[in-house]
Amino acid sequence: MTTAPDKRPAFEPPAQLLKPTGYDPDMKRPASTVAGVMLVLLRVIAGVVWIGSIALEWERYVREIDATYEDVVSTPQIAETTLLVAVIAIGVSLVIDAVLAFFVLGGHNWARVIIMAIAAISITASFLQWWDDGLEITIGTTLLTLGLDILILLALSSRSAAAYARRKERR
Amino acid sequence: MTIQKRSRRYSIGLVIDWFFFVFAGLAAVWLAYLSLTETFHVGWWGVAFALAFWVLLAYLVLPRLHRILTTIYVPDYFIGRARTSDGLLGDPVNLAFLGGADQIHTAMTEAKWTKAEPVTLGSSWRIVTSTLTRRSYDEAPVSPLFLFGRQQDFAYQQEVDGNPAQRHHVRFWKCPDGWLLPGGSRVDWLAAGTFDTSVGLSLFTLQITHRIDADTDIERDHILQTLTAADPRITIEVLKDFSTGYHARNGGGDSIRTDGDLPIADVRLVAAVTR
Repeated sequence: MTTAPDKRPAFEPPAQLLKPTGYDPDMKRPASTVAGVMLVLLRVIAGVVWIGSIALEWERYVREIDATYEDVVSTPQIAETTLLVAVIAIGVSLVIDAVLAFFVLGGHNWARVIIMAIAAISITASFLQWWDDGLEITIGTTLLTLGLDILILLALSSRSAAAYARRKERR
Repeated sequence: MTIQKRSRRYSIGLVIDWFFFVFAGLAAVWLAYLSLTETFHVGWWGVAFALAFWVLLAYLVLPRLHRILTTIYVPDYFIGRARTSDGLLGDPVNLAFLGGADQIHTAMTEAKWTKAEPVTLGSSWRIVTSTLTRRSYDEAPVSPLFLFGRQQDFAYQQEVDGNPAQRHHVRFWKCPDGWLLPGGSRVDWLAAGTFDTSVGLSLFTLQITHRIDADTDIERDHILQTLTAADPRITIEVLKDFSTGYHARNGGGDSIRTDGDLPIADVRLVAAVTR
């Protein structure tokens, strides 16, 4: 001891909570990472099922969109294009989701952060609608997807998942 | 070099992790609330939602809240108690050892103790099957408890009549180099021995856990008695009234009573068998 140590504060530093676990490239993949990836894949499967259900009743959905936007200029063609664009956009996002999940499983931190950010944004959006506009979140509406988002965030933000994603970082 | 590394305590990555860690905890509170309100709307399905609410609360929400709060409020230096993985105060440290790891392994094995397996998917599954089939599993893993910010280095246990709910067990932690006990004694290992009496619902964490016998001295003395009976070269020195708390509760909410003594078992004369 060459210098006097600093006095301890009355509380521990919150940074302690996620103290970097250090360089450990051989770390075994923790259960939390696997659980997070499984939940993301579940979300992807749910999305695929949803797209499938639309494809099966394509005509009905087109008519519904057409009817909803009766006042605006709407033809069956425009309605069909709108639906097609929406479905393709969702399909692409599902593919991206699955690819990100694959990278999380391999232990890439950037993929973990992106998935967590998307989940956090979607949770915040639901919360604001629920809080301000009294949106009903029940099992019949969005409770399941919201629950999936929150569980994904819980799993991937856990200390073991963070340590695994940062196992190659030298500090 | 080391000083420069120290100064970078708050990196961007850490702040991001911290944000999501706390955000997820808050979101889980909300999800628990939503599933609780849903319980009253869906008739008999409400039972399933009540169950989901309990699992969320006991295994995801409360642990994360405990983790966040205890990290800040519970002192991170030695206070004679191990801590659970959520940061709550766990079993009392009631034994100390002098000697090497191999010597402790030899002494414990000769005293008819079985080393616990680490917690893995396989060993967890074996706990479930051995409990259901009522078969004995004497190398069953013990839950992780933390001292010096580390999980126990190893643990030993003794089964009671093939009953998986009851067992003697003791966890060992290697002390950091040059570390002294409060009062200045030097020991190599600290250990926490408690006796599991039954499996039950903890009203503290709401999780299903092992309840421990409140009189931790009985277990402490049982460990010493089996050790010295198996090998008379093991000597015991007692630090009188070492404990800071004579009655307390552990992380599962079970009460603990002790006379406050800390025996130091010297196993340095035991011939180490490297296994």
